[in-house]
Amino acid sequence: MTDTEMGRSGRSVSRRKVLATTGAVGALSLAGCTENTGNGGDNERVIVTGSSTVFPVSDTLAEAFMAENDGVNVTTDSTGTGGGFSNNFCPGDSDINGASRPIQDAEVESCNENGVEPIEFQIGADAVTMAVHNDSPIDCVSYDELAQIWSEDGAEMWSDVNSDWPDEEIERYGPPSTSGTFDWFRNNVIGDNGSHVTQYEKTENDNELVQGISSSENAIGYFGYAYYRENEDELKALEIKESEDDECTAPSLDAASEGTYPMARPLYIYVSQESLDRDPVYNFVEFYIEQSSTDTITDVGYVPANDEQVESNLEKLESATN
Amino acid sequence: MATDQRTGDWYGTDEAVSRLRGQAFKSLCLGATLLALVSVFVLLLYVANDAFRPLSADIGWLLTFAASLLLPTLGATGYYYTRDARAGETAAIALGLPVVSLLLTGGVFITLEHIVTVYQWASIVVALAIAAAVVFAHGRVRTSADLERFIVLVAVPIAALVLIPDLILSLPMLPTEALALLGSVVVPVAVVVGWFVRRQRENDRDGAIAAGLTLVVAAAGLGLAPVVGLSPFVWMLLVVVTAVPVGLYVESVVRRGAGTAGLAFPVLVAGGVIVGVVVTEALGFAGPNSWLDWGFLTDPPSRTPEDAGFYPPLVGSVMMLLVIVVSAFPVGVGAAVYLEEYAPDRGWWGRLVDLIEVNIGNLAGVPSVVYGVLGLALFIRQGGLGSGTALVGGFTVSLLILPIVIISSQEAISAVPDSMREASYGMGATRWQTVRNVVLPEALPGIMTGNILAMGRAIGETAPLLIIGAPAVVRIAPDSFTSKFSAMPRQIYTWSSEIDAAFQHGVLAAGVMTLLVVLLLMNGAAIIIRNKYQRRD
Repeated sequence: MTDTEMGRSGRSVSRRKVLATTGAVGALSLAGCTENTGNGGDNERVIVTGSSTVFPVSDTLAEAFMAENDGVNVTTDSTGTGGGFSNNFCPGDSDINGASRPIQDAEVESCNENGVEPIEFQIGADAVTMAVHNDSPIDCVSYDELAQIWSEDGAEMWSDVNSDWPDEEIERYGPPSTSGTFDWFRNNVIGDNGSHVTQYEKTENDNELVQGISSSENAIGYFGYAYYRENEDELKALEIKESEDDECTAPSLDAASEGTYPMARPLYIYVSQESLDRDPVYNFVEFYIEQSSTDTITDVGYVPANDEQVESNLEKLESATN
Repeated sequence: MATDQRTGDWYGTDEAVSRLRGQAFKSLCLGATLLALVSVFVLLLYVANDAFRPLSADIGWLLTFAASLLLPTLGATGYYYTRDARAGETAAIALGLPVVSLLLTGGVFITLEHIVTVYQWASIVVALAIAAAVVFAHGRVRTSADLERFIVLVAVPIAALVLIPDLILSLPMLPTEALALLGSVVVPVAVVVGWFVRRQRENDRDGAIAAGLTLVVAAAGLGLAPVVGLSPFVWMLLVVVTAVPVGLYVESVVRRGAGTAGLAFPVLVAGGVIVGVVVTEALGFAGPNSWLDWGFLTDPPSRTPEDAGFYPPLVGSVMMLLVIVVSAFPVGVGAAVYLEEYAPDRGWWGRLVDLIEVNIGNLAGVPSVVYGVLGLALFIRQGGLGSGTALVGGFTVSLLILPIVIISSQEAISAVPDSMREASYGMGATRWQTVRNVVLPEALPGIMTGNILAMGRAIGETAPLLIIGAPAVVRIAPDSFTSKFSAMPRQIYTWSSEIDAAFQHGVLAAGVMTLLVVLLLMNGAAIIIRNKYQRRD
C-alpha cells in the first residue's frame, strides 16, 4: 500500500517537474525573443524580391557579394514581377524588386502612396524561348503565327495556322498572368489587338513547363532561355522571325545581344530610393550594376548589359543618392 | 424473434455457402494495403537513392560495408525477432536514443548559438533560481495568506525575469562561455539526474554518485575536450544532452535485467561502421558521392549544387518550432482542459460548446494556404510584424496546428477514467486540485504525443511560409525572431525551381531526406511515449 502510494506521489512530482520545465523553457524563449530584437541587424539587411526570371541573377550576385562582405545578409526571393511589386516592394517590405518588364503606372502610384520611390536599372536581357517537342515538324514561326497560336479565339489545330503543320490540337504551356514573361509576350508578340489565351497549362515553375512540353508531340510553350539551355536535349527551340520577310533566327545569347533575335526582352531591377541611403543596399546595387556586364550573367543564361548601360546606371545610382 | 422459432436448423447445413465474395473482398483489401505500402516505399527508395547515390561508390566499398555492417545487423535483427523480442525492443531504443539525443544536441547547440546566448540563458537560470527562493521563503513566512501567495507566485518570477538578466548581462566581468554553460546547464541537469536516480533506486548515495559523475565528466571537458579536438562547449553539450539520457537508459536496462542482450546492438552497428571505415580507408575504396553529407548540413545554400547546404533553413525551422511550442501549446492545451473539464455540457451553453467543438474539428481540415493568408492579414498587415520572420511564421503555423493540438489534447484528457476524478472528489479535493493532481498528470503523456505529432505537421508546412513571405534563399542563419528566416520545406521548394538539374535531382533529394529523418524521429518519439504510457494501464 505504502509502496504504491510512494510510487504515485513520485510520479506526480515528476510530471510537475515536466510542467515546470516546460514553463521555464517557454519563459526562456519569450525572454530570448524580447532580448534579441534590438541588435541592429536591420541595417545589415538587403531584401530582394520580384521576378522569377531575374531571381537566378540576383541570387548568384547575392552569393558573390556576401562572400566579399562579411555580415551583410542579402535574402533573395522569387515572387513574380507583379507579385513582388504589389506584395513586397510597394508596401516597403523589400529593398530591391527584380522585374522582367518595366514597372506599370499603377504600380508606381501604389508605391508612391506608401512613400516608396522606385529607381529603374536595366541589368541585362533574356531571350524568351518558344519551344516544342523534339519530334515536332515545325522549325520556324513568325510573330503573326505565334499570335494566332496564343491569342484567345485563335487557332485550335496546328493545321489552322499553317496547312503544312499536323492536323492535331495545340497543347499550350506558359507562365501565369502574374508573370512578367506573360506580360511581355502579350504586349510585344500578340500585340494590342488580341488577348492572350486563357486556357493553357500555366505554372511559375519553368521546369514544369519543360517537362510538359517534352512529354507531348503537339505541345508548345515559352519560358526564359536559361531553362532551355539546361534542357537543350529534351526540347527543340523554334527559330523566330518578326515578319514573313525576316530571316529565321534561333535563340542564343549572342543573337539576343546583337539584336537579331526578335524575342529578346530587357530585365530590370527596381531599387527603393529610401533603401539606397543604407550602405549595404547601396553597395549591393553598385556591385550588381558592375557585375551586370560580366560573364557571371552569361553563366546563369542571360544576356549581359553593355558597357554604356553600366555607365548610365552608375551615374543614375550616384545622382539618386545626392 | 419470430424467425428464431421458425428456423428449425442452421441455415446452410444442406448446401455449401459460397465464400467467393468474402475471399474477393479480402484480397481487394490486401491489394489496397500492398499498393499503398509499395508506392510509398518505392518513392522513399527513389529519394534516398538520389540523396545518397550509393551506386557511385566502389564495389569494394559496398561489399566491405555489406560484410561489416549490413550482415551482422540483419543477423542480430533476425535473432531478436525470432528469439528474444524483449531484447529487440531494447535494441531499437538503444540504437534510436543516441541518434535522437545527438539530434537534440544539435538543436540545443543551434539554440545556444543563434537564439539565446549562453550568458542570456545563465542569467535567466539565475533569475528563476532567485525567484524560486523568494517564493519558497514567502511560503514559509506567510503560510496562510492564499491570495498574497498567488500574487507572489505570479509577480516575483516575472519581475525577476525582467530585472535580473539585464542586470547580470550588464556586469563588466563575465565568466568564460564554458564556465557559464557549466553553471547554467550542467549543474541543473546533474541535480535532476541525481534526484531521478535517487528516486529510481531509492538510495541517496546512488543519486549523489550519479549527480557527481555527470558533473565531473562534463567538467572534465574543460581539460580533455581540446585533446580530442572538440571545444569544451560542445563536449559539455554532448555529455549533458547525449550521454546522460543514454547512460540513464543503459542503467535502467541493467537494473531491470530484462532484454540486456539488446544493448549489444548499437555496439554492433557502431563497430560495423568503424571497421568498414578503417578497411575501406586502408584498401582505398572510394565511398559514394553522396549529396547528403556533413557539409550539406552545415553550409549555407549556394548556386553551385556541390556547395549547396541546408544550415540556415535548419536553424529557421528550429526557431519556428520554438515559437510554436511557446504559442500554440499553452493555448491549445488550455482550451482542451477548459472544454473537457469546465465547459458546460447541458442546456443551451452545452449546445454552444458542442457547436464550437465540431467547428474546431472543421478548422483542422482547412487548407494550410488559407492559414497563410490569415497570418499575412493578421500579423503582417494588421499587427505590423515584419514579413517573412520566424515570429510571424511560427504564429501562422501555430494557428494552423492549434485545432490539432486542441483535439488531441482533448482526446488525452477524456481518456482519463472518470473513476479517478470521482475518487479525487470523494477525498475532498476541489476541482482545481483534481485537474492539477489527477487529470493533467495522467493525461500528460497523451497530450505530449499529440503535440509532437502536431509539431511534425508544423515542420513540413510550406504554403503558409510562401504566403507570409519567407524568402527563397537565406544565407546567414537568422539570429533573432524578427529577422528574415527560411525553413526546410521552403528551401526545398526553392530548389525545385532551380535551372540546374542537379538541384532537382540531388540537392532537393538530400533536403527531403533530412526533413524526413527529422519527421520520422519526431513521430518515433511520439510513438515511444504513447507505448510507454499504454503499458502502465
